[in-house]
Amino acid sequence: MDDHVVSVLSNIGVISFVALSAYLLLLTGEISFGQQAFFGIGAYAAAIATAMWGWPLAAGLMLGALAGASSALLVGLPTLRLHGLYFAVATLAFAEMIRILLELFHYQVAVDGELVGPNGTDGFGGIRYVFQNKIGAFEYMLLIYTLLATALAGLWLLERSRLGVAFRMIGGDETLAKTSGIAITRHRMIAAALAGALAGIGGGLYAHLTTYIEPRIFDIMLGVHALAYGLIGGLGTALGPLLGVLIDIGLLGSTRLFSGYRMIVFGGLVAVLLIFRPRGLLNEEMVHRIGSFWRRVWPTDPSQKSHGKT
Amino acid sequence: MIDFVQTTVDGVMVGCSYGLLAIGFTLIFGVIRRLNLSYGPSIMVGAYLGTFLYVQFGAGPLLVAVAVVAGAAIAGIYVERLCFAPMKGGAGVASMVSSFAIWMQLEQAMILLLPRHTYAFPALATGAPWEFGPFTLRPDQLLMLILAIATGIIVNTIIYRTRFGTGLRLVTSNQIAAHLVGVNVRNVMLGAFALASAVGGFAGFLVLAIDQQVTPMFGMWATIKGLIAMMIGGLGSVPGAIAGGLVLGVIEAHAQGLVGPQARDLTAYLLLFLCLVLRPGGLFGKAPEADGAFSSRST
Repeated sequence: MDDHVVSVLSNIGVISFVALSAYLLLLTGEISFGQQAFFGIGAYAAAIATAMWGWPLAAGLMLGALAGASSALLVGLPTLRLHGLYFAVATLAFAEMIRILLELFHYQVAVDGELVGPNGTDGFGGIRYVFQNKIGAFEYMLLIYTLLATALAGLWLLERSRLGVAFRMIGGDETLAKTSGIAITRHRMIAAALAGALAGIGGGLYAHLTTYIEPRIFDIMLGVHALAYGLIGGLGTALGPLLGVLIDIGLLGSTRLFSGYRMIVFGGLVAVLLIFRPRGLLNEEMVHRIGSFWRRVWPTDPSQKSHGKT
Repeated sequence: MIDFVQTTVDGVMVGCSYGLLAIGFTLIFGVIRRLNLSYGPSIMVGAYLGTFLYVQFGAGPLLVAVAVVAGAAIAGIYVERLCFAPMKGGAGVASMVSSFAIWMQLEQAMILLLPRHTYAFPALATGAPWEFGPFTLRPDQLLMLILAIATGIIVNTIIYRTRFGTGLRLVTSNQIAAHLVGVNVRNVMLGAFALASAVGGFAGFLVLAIDQQVTPMFGMWATIKGLIAMMIGGLGSVPGAIAGGLVLGVIEAHAQGLVGPQARDLTAYLLLFLCLVLRPGGLFGKAPEADGAFSSRST
């Protein structure tokens, strides 16, 4: 495969993790402007683990996920009882605080005679695990997509579980969910922790993909983009955010379509799209339609078939 | 002590412009109960238009001010028509994301108009700083203070003394009731956007005239500072917006004076975060009302 294609696809895969993270919270009815913080925390944690402590990549990524989840829980404690705009702005404030703190974060050790580690605004370079272990760009892309597929499968199972149903119910009508006996705050905490872990893994993968990270990558722009991907692609399925990322980075970012006028065309298109489909391209209705069409051309479920006959 | 007073005075000066930015933001939020992320970028459209006239044709401060205010108001109307007016009741998140998409659009359009990173902006007033004993005061900052107060008074008059203002307050407190007594809600919303963006545009003009330069970061800066000041002061309250702006300006100035430039933003966000967690209604506002009105599940 072409190097350029591999790098674009890797990018799409990595950014999909943040988009999924924002999507998971949107399901429970909470709008977060702050998922980029957990992406950043995951990136720093995973990179410190492999580049400075000599951990293997898997352990580093796990540490990234853990750091993302635990910091999401920590910030969730005071903020998750807030609603709507208050929650959204609180997550924004938190994420920007994290970004500024990363700008002040200096922690370097000598590895092979070279200073490695986060160096404030100068960033954190030399995250060379992938290069040192002779993992090719294509293989690394496969790793990203394996993890992404695992995450999607997990989300797919989640949406079919009691927990997932409870998430959508809280997002649909909180009062109704409460009267049905669903513990709102506890479910939101679970969703926040899972979303933090997703963003953390994504961050870890990102750090090892680019080999260099700096605090300003994890700014508010990334957070709002993550949120927008779900809204553009659709909130009916976990594939929605992926479609959003694909449209933005794959179609517009990499093909240099419209070049300088890209954002003018894209911004206008998104605004017009949202007038007609406020819950995105793959909204609940669309997902349902595709599903029923699929069942008609491919009736696999024997119980349903026999049910229809009797 | 002298430093403390000087820093506080400097903070008040900056805080005035934050307050004006927050007034615009809060007017929009009060009326539509949704977050307009394109608020800052609308102001940026005005600012770039003004800068364009200044750089290309050497326009004076007065003409530039008019261009900034008019440009911001027109951009505000555009945002309202595209992102807010056509959206149905339950689409609060979609409106917000849509306003973000338009933010990207407006920013790109302005960068195409003036592609360099920084441009000069006309100064409000020139002259050496005045000295009062140990204190110094820049004449342009004093002029900015006076103009900011004057704008506040004008906005207050529009809201409390005119027919449009009565309608606006009615829509803010109860949209259905306003509709029932014959207020044209859609026109009020459009008017509120135009007024808010114009006020924001004037605030932007004052800030840029002090800085004497404009960069593409200005749109984001205006959105963030206006948002923080509005949330600190309490949503939907004009006096709260001014107070929130002043508090933000003074605290930022002290943080910068005591620790350094990075502490300035960190303190602003910390203040915002603590405010939201401890007093979600803002320092001067009532209990949260945005609940449901903003989120996707509202009716």
